[in-house]
Amino acid sequence: MGDSDREGSWKNTVDLMNRAVSRRDFIITSGAAGVMTMVPRFARAQSAEPYRIGVLLPTTGSGANYSERPIKILPLIAADINSRGGLLGKHPIELHFRDDQTKPDVGAREARSLILNEKVKTIIGTWSSSVAMAVQEIIHEHKVLMLTATSNSSKIVNENYTPYCFMFGPTSGMQSRATVVAVTRLIKEKGWKKYATLGLDYEWGRDAQRVFVENLKKASPETELMKELWAKLGETDFTSYISAVMALKPNFLFGAIAGKDNETFLQQAKGAGLFKGIAYPGVFLPVTELMQQAKTLPRGIIGINRCPFFANMDKPLMQKYVKLYKDKFGKEEFPDDFACMYADALNALDQGATKAGTVETEAVRKSLTGATIETCQGKLPIRDCNNQLDCPSYLGEVVDVPEYPFPIFNPKTMIVVQGHDVWVPTCDEVRALQKKRS
Amino acid sequence: MPSDLSSFLIQLFSGLSRAMMLFLVASGLSLIFGVMNILNFAHASLWLLGGYVTFSLYQAFSIGFGQHGFLLIPAILLGTVCMFGIGWLIERVLIRRTYAYELPEQLLLTFAMILIIGDLIKLIWGVQNRRIFLPIEPIEAFGGFINPYLFIVIGCGFGIAAALWFFLHRTRYGKIVRAAVHSREMVSALGIRIPAIYAGVYAMGVAIAAFSAGVFLPIMPIGLGLDMDLIVQCFAVVVIGGFGSILGTFVASLIVGILYSFSVLIWPGGALAIIFLILVTVLIIRPWGLFGTEMRF
Repeated sequence: MGDSDREGSWKNTVDLMNRAVSRRDFIITSGAAGVMTMVPRFARAQSAEPYRIGVLLPTTGSGANYSERPIKILPLIAADINSRGGLLGKHPIELHFRDDQTKPDVGAREARSLILNEKVKTIIGTWSSSVAMAVQEIIHEHKVLMLTATSNSSKIVNENYTPYCFMFGPTSGMQSRATVVAVTRLIKEKGWKKYATLGLDYEWGRDAQRVFVENLKKASPETELMKELWAKLGETDFTSYISAVMALKPNFLFGAIAGKDNETFLQQAKGAGLFKGIAYPGVFLPVTELMQQAKTLPRGIIGINRCPFFANMDKPLMQKYVKLYKDKFGKEEFPDDFACMYADALNALDQGATKAGTVETEAVRKSLTGATIETCQGKLPIRDCNNQLDCPSYLGEVVDVPEYPFPIFNPKTMIVVQGHDVWVPTCDEVRALQKKRS
Repeated sequence: MPSDLSSFLIQLFSGLSRAMMLFLVASGLSLIFGVMNILNFAHASLWLLGGYVTFSLYQAFSIGFGQHGFLLIPAILLGTVCMFGIGWLIERVLIRRTYAYELPEQLLLTFAMILIIGDLIKLIWGVQNRRIFLPIEPIEAFGGFINPYLFIVIGCGFGIAAALWFFLHRTRYGKIVRAAVHSREMVSALGIRIPAIYAGVYAMGVAIAAFSAGVFLPIMPIGLGLDMDLIVQCFAVVVIGGFGSILGTFVASLIVGILYSFSVLIWPGGALAIIFLILVTVLIIRPWGLFGTEMRF
């Protein structure tokens, strides 16, 4: 295959990903991405075994919107590693994409297929925590590594812990506690006395709400929880919930809403005047939402996100991710939180293999557990008792800035809550939660 | 419970808007089943496709004339016409082949359409959510704030209900459609082309869905998977009201929408359960629905 052919293949792959990703595209891109990421192998070393990685993300269902950028950046990172010959300079990375459809049964089926048919040694994904927990059963059974970031229920690293799974973003529990830190500050400043919660009625939503309520009770016991409201995943009309919250007249509302539902809620809540009288701190606003809702997002609300590029542009790896992304997809394009976290996950695998001196799963797993790795947020340790990256959460007021064509968090007042300040405090407590496989 | 009249009225208003949103989507589904006996599982997917078409038309108009909210009106109307054509084509090419078959074959075909439409949307519009931004500001009403756009949604719901009633009861074509519901053989024996009636009704059902998707765009971002989120509640409404009964669908939408709205306030955890409890009760006591006829059951 000539250079121009390879360049064409690469361009087609990226064009496909840029435009849309479907089940059929997955098959096409699996092959094309494999060819693309193997290119340096043919150029440099032809003897070593490729390192196969399954990428399990949804291109259908509620999570599709958040998968686009991770699917776009992972081949760039793989190609970057492969330009050095691959893992350990001799194992070129092959990426095999699969659509988990945001469904646990499909995720488990695809994970099994990736392991048994494609012989992958690592699975990167997923979006939904329910899917991640279903996949955890499969990877634990087959002793395959799993690197996750977007799906972030605390149970993944605690109750459902498996030593083969590594978490590269803050868990829902960590984020909820980080929100508590910010909200406690606001309660004191503004004299808030009562609040309500609105969460999506599934694993992540329940978990995020529970941790927030429990921790706020400890931090500010006098603050009264008036009511818990639950909307189904995929709710299209939040009007009744919004009017119910307004009828309660709380000082603030805590929302555990993500994805498309979050966007729907914000759009409808703004139109209904919810934010005129009720504060809404801690709404999940990843960079994806900041970009996509640039026009509609209410300014001044306090959001939380996991790995915003704009807060880490002084870090070399973040600069690299942004440059790679913009060079390939255009000057107006930026990687979102999920793209950055999954890029970190793939780079962590590279660092783990280098440290272990082998690509054997057990050795890489042991080398990553407790290791300090280079990430786009700086050097961060991985907790040895549950494989949780000690990564921060970011809270800030949504404001417009001249540097970007979309709002970001106010750099002057942004609160960065470190992971170790909000995760389950001690490893003994973590281990007490990890009863399932002990 | 709502503690005062203001909260009660706002919750009632929310319930009414939810009811009209449900009716706008479910009425086409009910119409298609009522006349053609086709359980169109792909109805919500066609609704979603209509939303994307309207979105693209609005974008195209905005490029030509600048970003103005009123451009949504021609975009919705043109989108409705486009989807009428697409609906007609689908009926002629696909649906008509299933008239001789039983329900499982119809379900298989329309389920396949869901997958095809989903992939088509991904190929054309990608996986990102799409939305139309209108600078809607809340207004003060009933002693609180409400979204003024919901008046438009409610108005459209009542408007479509009235238009459908007028069409079915006061126009010659509508009377033929109603006659076809009762005896397609007799209508055919009178020299009326049943296939054309069927294609027209199917296209009309799809067009109503597309119209509603366009109306919802300023308050509801559209994205993949939205169709599956909607179709279950639409089926619940149609079953409660009685398959094929527009009046039944309208009344069931009101019951479901308003009850759901107050359930959220009183018993948030069980709001959805109440809807399906009603559905089960109706299926046990009156399987043909509140306004359906035993004959159709």
